[in-house]
Amino acid sequence: MTATVRVNPKLISELQSYGAEDVQNCYHCGNCSAACPYSSEPFILPRMSTRLLQMGLEESLRGNLEPWLCYYCGQCSDQCPRDAEPGATMMSLRRWLTGRYDFTGIARRFYRSWKIELAALIIVALLTGAGLLAYGFLWGGGNLSVFDTGGGQSAFLPAGAIHVVDWVLGLMFITVVLVNMARMWHFTMHAEDIPRASAGAYLRHALLFPLHFFTQKRWAKCDNNMPWLTHLPLMLGYLTMLVLIMFFLEPFQDGPAIDWKLHTLGYLATAGLLVGVWYAVRGRLKKNVPMYRHSHSTDWVFVLLLLAIVATGVLLHVLHRLGFGAAANLTYVAHMMVVVPWMMRFPFSKWSHMMYRPLAMYFAAIQTEALASQSPQLQGGAEDELAPVAEAA
Amino acid sequence: MRVGVFVGEYLKETGRNLEAIAGYARNLPDVEHVRLLAFRQLLDPAALANELREEKLERVVLAGDSPGYFKPAFTQALADAGKDAREVHLASFREHGAGSPDSLERAKAVIACAVRAVPFSLVAVPKPAVVKHATLVIGAGIAGIQAALEIADAGKKVFLVEREPTIGGHMAMFDKTFPTLDCAACILTPKMVAVSDHEMIELITNADVQEVRGTPGAYRVTVARRARRVDPETCTACNSCTDVCPVSVWSEFDSKLSHRKAIYIPFPQAVPTAYVVDPVACTYVQSDGQKCGVCVKKCPLGCIHLDEKDDTVDIEVGNIVIATGYELFDARKIECYGYGKLPNVLTSLEFERMTNASGPTGGKIVLKTRKLNKRIKVEEFVADPEGPSPKSVAIIHCVGSRDPKYNPYCSRVCCMYSLKFAHLVREKLPQATCHEFYIDMRAYGKGYEEFMERIKAEGTRVVRGRTAEVSEVDGQMVLKGEDMLRNRLVEFPVDMVVLAVGLVPSPGNQDLERQLGVPRDSDGWFSELDYNGDPTYTERGGVFVAGMCQGPKDIPDTVAQGSAVAAGVLRSISSGYGGGDLSNLSLSEIETRARDLQAKLSPAGGGQ
Repeated sequence: MTATVRVNPKLISELQSYGAEDVQNCYHCGNCSAACPYSSEPFILPRMSTRLLQMGLEESLRGNLEPWLCYYCGQCSDQCPRDAEPGATMMSLRRWLTGRYDFTGIARRFYRSWKIELAALIIVALLTGAGLLAYGFLWGGGNLSVFDTGGGQSAFLPAGAIHVVDWVLGLMFITVVLVNMARMWHFTMHAEDIPRASAGAYLRHALLFPLHFFTQKRWAKCDNNMPWLTHLPLMLGYLTMLVLIMFFLEPFQDGPAIDWKLHTLGYLATAGLLVGVWYAVRGRLKKNVPMYRHSHSTDWVFVLLLLAIVATGVLLHVLHRLGFGAAANLTYVAHMMVVVPWMMRFPFSKWSHMMYRPLAMYFAAIQTEALASQSPQLQGGAEDELAPVAEAA
Repeated sequence: MRVGVFVGEYLKETGRNLEAIAGYARNLPDVEHVRLLAFRQLLDPAALANELREEKLERVVLAGDSPGYFKPAFTQALADAGKDAREVHLASFREHGAGSPDSLERAKAVIACAVRAVPFSLVAVPKPAVVKHATLVIGAGIAGIQAALEIADAGKKVFLVEREPTIGGHMAMFDKTFPTLDCAACILTPKMVAVSDHEMIELITNADVQEVRGTPGAYRVTVARRARRVDPETCTACNSCTDVCPVSVWSEFDSKLSHRKAIYIPFPQAVPTAYVVDPVACTYVQSDGQKCGVCVKKCPLGCIHLDEKDDTVDIEVGNIVIATGYELFDARKIECYGYGKLPNVLTSLEFERMTNASGPTGGKIVLKTRKLNKRIKVEEFVADPEGPSPKSVAIIHCVGSRDPKYNPYCSRVCCMYSLKFAHLVREKLPQATCHEFYIDMRAYGKGYEEFMERIKAEGTRVVRGRTAEVSEVDGQMVLKGEDMLRNRLVEFPVDMVVLAVGLVPSPGNQDLERQLGVPRDSDGWFSELDYNGDPTYTERGGVFVAGMCQGPKDIPDTVAQGSAVAAGVLRSISSGYGGGDLSNLSLSEIETRARDLQAKLSPAGGGQ
């Protein structure tokens, strides 16, 4: 093994802009790792990550899966005798890792400056709005109608056209995320001190990705299950909405004769989104749940944008149903002005954890298997602890 | 000479009235310029030099807590302004007994001296005062005993007041001392007997200090004595009364590992060697003489007086020594260790009693077993000498210490006594495993590091990592922690867990603080006058501190401080000056003396 270890002495101060606090307070008593419901060898969290951070071992930290294995139940921070906030450290590391995985560097900019992020979002929103208006005036001759209101006026921007735009934008950003996921694989599974896993291992554990993607079932290990139980409808509602929009936009939007199946699904998804967003906003305001105690600017952008999307979406639907065509059309423009920036944020923000987190669970299982086959003593657990030194010697 | 005074704080923001201090400095002779500095203000020497030039200052006085922090900038500025750079004088409040935000007069006096560039210690010499030769020592643990013996051996009268029915304090409960593994009782009991036999020591046990009046050198103290109900002069400790007493309650001396009667002697070597009645448990006292009273009939010497009433004693003393010791941190507060719920999670003091050869198990380390208390018909966990011995023992360090949620400070003795426990486990139960879970091993004293190495070599597994949880799974205790030097999570079954609980100030200290006017620090320990230079004096003249009440320390340090306190007390008696007391010296007197001393030091002038 090479002897060169690169140390970044400024890593901790760099992490501060990602929301890390009091990392230096830690004196490594190990209380947090022992208290953590997610900590199990070889992934000793959160203390190992804190150690790497204190020592400035940027490369090891980049290849570290541990932050993604943490669901921030806050047990560690509650028991920490030094108020070192290990939970907040793990959260900030997830942001930092998102920035590291992102090859464009945009995520890093967004995380480190809320001004840049806000400016970018506003510019995209305004461009979207201007684009829609320009299209309506220049090509549609002043027709801004999105919906076929039935009054003889046909839509200038029918769902079919929107669909195409959706797909183009979606594919663009999915490509970025896929590249970032490949980078995550490279950093974590291809690092120097990690044993190479066989293709068989990748296949054997392949089902873990969809399992964790859809259920986040590890989260249930927290004493307080509310964050998980409210995240679940949020995530499922979100996925449902995404599928509806990406694949069934035309029947879903056109109305008034929307298929009842889509209709019901849409309402359920909206309810799920509302529950999740309500819990997150309330938690971040009240700071009553450990994971909501330290909000980063990007967290607020995340929930507020989501709230704006849900609000404009609901309003749009109501207006459309009640027959206020003009108002519905205007709301549609507003809706698009939040949806497009939101989509744009996907690869560069918290959004992307929906891919990274299940991927990390999947990789972690593979790594555990590879390490265990490499050093059998890891399988022994703590039994050798019981033998006193004198007898062993 | 034109003097500028700069007032500021560096160490912490104390809330001291800096405005009032600055106002005082403005009126001092020669002072032409006074400015308040912000907390830890960063100073630019160039700007300061301009300020000094504008005000034509030749001398700078820096006043406050640790004002030396600001000194380099001012030295530079004076040099840049073309003045004598040596003319920066510090008026450090903390080092001259004005550490408390309330001691404004002392702070002003310190500035008055610095402005004239004369040392405070040469100016502020207390005036001779009549010092009564008797001394009051509050608390008869090892610190109080040591101080009392030193003073009494020098031929001066000592009143030794103890809250408990016996003297000896916590040390009397201990089995061995670290790092020498000497028998604690063998060191302490001869001293206890010496106290009881000493003609110059008047022992008042079962008593509290109720009221303190008077001034340094002449204190009038009222001591409230709780009725002992047994005459210590005639009692021969024959045990007849205890044999017949029908009441059984938990023994405080044995840390509630065993029971005692309502009339009892805390331990056989107790001083005074006399029985005592617990009025809360005694049937006769509780029924106002209607029931029981069998012990009175049984006593062959007729020394039991169950109707005895509490009384007070008034004494006059010149000096007072506070030696009130400590209490244990309440381990119930840390729920994850299960103390109070799991019977075999013990505090250090409970384990200490268990390993003590004169303790409830005769020195055997046993698991507590369930036993029916026939009197109240409740099953209780007791330490029965015939009980099973543990196969694995875990000792957890820093319980309630070094944690801002409980006590931020290090209790200083726990690492070493935990190592001592490990030794006792290995010695008495060679088949059992023993684990120590520590954060940092603080083996700081003479022979301590060597002791730690010895314990490790004896086969104790010393694991770096604090334990997170002790729980019970199917009747078996399980301990969870991290071995952080090996990056392993450990989870294994244990039979007995000993919590190395930290130390907290005695609850009675609050009342003493009010009575004696001696401030306590934020942790509740009594504040000494100066941590380095005057560790036994306090802000209040004629009042001294010894032992744990001033802060956690081990037995050698406690004994040393007990002796040191005697030196201060004897000095104040034989010199005729109240010990460290400036309260009879007014601010104007200090100012006058400073002026005189300045004139004497520089005959060429400079004064008025």
